[in-house]
Amino acid sequence: MSQIHWETAWFYVFALLACGFALAVVFASSIVRMAFYLVLCLASTAGLFFLAGADFVGAMQLMIYVGGTLVLLIFGVMLTSQAQFVKMRTGSGELLIAFAIGAALFALLAGVAMNVPEWRSAEGAISASTPPHTATPLAMGLLGARVDRPLAPDAAGYLLVFEIVSVHLLVVLVGAAYLARAKRRRISHD
Amino acid sequence: MLTSIIDHLLADTTRISLPLFYPELVLCATIVLMLLVKIFPAGEKLHSFWLALAGSLLALGLCLWRPGLSQLATLERQELFTGMLVFDGLGVFLRTLLLAFLVLFLVLTKLTHLADREDGQDFFSLVLGATLGMCLMVSANHLMTVFLAIEMASVPSYVLAGLVKGRRRASEAALKYAVYGAGAAGVMLYGISLLAGLLGTAHLPTIGDRLIAGQGAAGPGLDSGVLVALALAAIMVLVGLAFKLSAVPFHFWAPDVFEGATAEVGAFLSVASKAAALGLLIRLVAAAVPNDAPTHLIAVDSVRAQLVASSSVELSTFAPHKFLSIALAVIAAVTCTFGNIAAYVQTNIKRMLAYSTIAHAGYLIMPAAAAAQVGGAGMRDPFAAILIYAAIYLFMNLTAFAIVAFLRNSLGSEEIADYAGLWRRSPWVVVAMVVTLFSLVGIPPLAGFNAKFVALYALVAAGGPWMIALVVVACINTVISLVYYLRVAKVMIIDTPTDEAETSPAVSTAAASYLLVTTLPMIILFLFPQRLFALAQAATASLFG
Repeated sequence: MSQIHWETAWFYVFALLACGFALAVVFASSIVRMAFYLVLCLASTAGLFFLAGADFVGAMQLMIYVGGTLVLLIFGVMLTSQAQFVKMRTGSGELLIAFAIGAALFALLAGVAMNVPEWRSAEGAISASTPPHTATPLAMGLLGARVDRPLAPDAAGYLLVFEIVSVHLLVVLVGAAYLARAKRRRISHD
Repeated sequence: MLTSIIDHLLADTTRISLPLFYPELVLCATIVLMLLVKIFPAGEKLHSFWLALAGSLLALGLCLWRPGLSQLATLERQELFTGMLVFDGLGVFLRTLLLAFLVLFLVLTKLTHLADREDGQDFFSLVLGATLGMCLMVSANHLMTVFLAIEMASVPSYVLAGLVKGRRRASEAALKYAVYGAGAAGVMLYGISLLAGLLGTAHLPTIGDRLIAGQGAAGPGLDSGVLVALALAAIMVLVGLAFKLSAVPFHFWAPDVFEGATAEVGAFLSVASKAAALGLLIRLVAAAVPNDAPTHLIAVDSVRAQLVASSSVELSTFAPHKFLSIALAVIAAVTCTFGNIAAYVQTNIKRMLAYSTIAHAGYLIMPAAAAAQVGGAGMRDPFAAILIYAAIYLFMNLTAFAIVAFLRNSLGSEEIADYAGLWRRSPWVVVAMVVTLFSLVGIPPLAGFNAKFVALYALVAAGGPWMIALVVVACINTVISLVYYLRVAKVMIIDTPTDEAETSPAVSTAAASYLLVTTLPMIILFLFPQRLFALAQAATASLFG
């Protein structure tokens, strides 16, 4: 029994879950169900991140997407819908076109990714037995100091991005509040 | 070790990066101030316009005086914030352009009463936030800043498109813009992640180095699989940029958004957004194209050469920048032709101007294709041509949209047919419009001619079948565009209005003087283009430091 490669097994479990729930998102017709399937799909993706040794990204995926954005989305849909939840109906023609485009894009992306030699070999792969320690370098990177590779010419710290995005979020919040606010008067040309 | 890293970071951030970042910081502070002031009773009475204007004037002043436009040529290329941004002539030129446009735009919105006292702070926060993103776009030096800056410029624009509430068309425009924008951003992000994964870095100059050296994923020499993946990544990043530039086939949002949004916002989207996207395009092309050896070919060892030759003949002579050049040339030609042909049948002036901006995006991308073809220091002239075109385009499109906005306020219509008989009411507005339209066509006594001339000259100087074909396409398009621009002028001057004509002037004195300020540069820049040309040349000089 010791021959079972548990990482591989878990990879297949998470990958199948992610793909399955992604398909469920596409084929569900109720928007609330779609959102819920998306929660499960993104949670499985977080599992894949953990397996790849990216513990920080995995945790962020769970906290931000699964815990924050999607819960907000579901609440938003449930609180704003007046009657029955919105049902999305797609015609078979639309479905066919979407399937053709999706399949073509998938074939292209998968084909291209498989043709990169370095991505096929197992050399650069991180073994799950090495303990992940990405949090400290990442946190330092966000503060601007790249302790993981201090002397590399392209070692860019993320201080500016980390700070400026707060201004962006403020502006976006103002914009959202502006759009959501009840209009005071009606200006109409049409 | 750690303390030395932190000391170095602190010194780098506070002594070098922040002082050169003051214009953007002023914009950030203005946004916060505009919102905070409303807490106080006295602040409620203050129109946010004045704060926004003061902030943008201060930012423009800092941009003009601190390193100074006069020192543009001798400006040293500096990386800010450990390589996230770059400070060079190109950034200074385009930032000045963007902030100058911001000031003119703010005055325009005041004159057309776009934002009232209650909603002012929201509107101006969005405008300043978008401009901040655009300033970052033109000085981006890292794929992460590239993406973040594009989003910072885009997301407030989605709200701006739906600014007027209670109008179905405005809401539709905002929703369409947001959905398409999100799609384009997703594709671009995928391309960016492919690029970073293949080359092992997101730092633009390092990406350039690795493309030349053929390092990264494939070791020395680029494997054919890596090349295909790189081409795909380049196309995906171009999709995001093409969306911002409203280039075909990612133009479909433009007509609906421009028609639904107010004319002022149309001016903002067509001028500022486009100038920023062009700046980013220049940066990406400059990073991707080898700039030390003009006819650079990838060194391949014999084994790999055989492998490549057996797999595909084309790949043996494949160089990333040739691919980029052809891709840009095709996009430019199609965009230009499509925009001009579609503009023919429009009856709504904003829709017509939307197709006109699509066509101009085509002209603006053409020199970038030439730059990607020649490579090396020869890229400077095509890039300078883009900068000159963008600067002149600012005045042309701002005036056109400003006239549309002023006339909307007085006529209550944006249909071309309703402009009939305007000549009798306000001849000077008609003169301004005619000057603008002729300048957009590129007819000699106006600056639009200089813009088109330098762009086409860059193509001729680059040479080669693709560039000559582009010149022919551009010339044919100019002739096509003459017809629909002239039609507007004909309606305004010759046609008689159907109902009883008013004789009172259509625009106020303030509006007329605003139009004078934005129209005059089109004549001045034609007569005295040397200063602008010299500035653009100087701006591109430090690009390859």
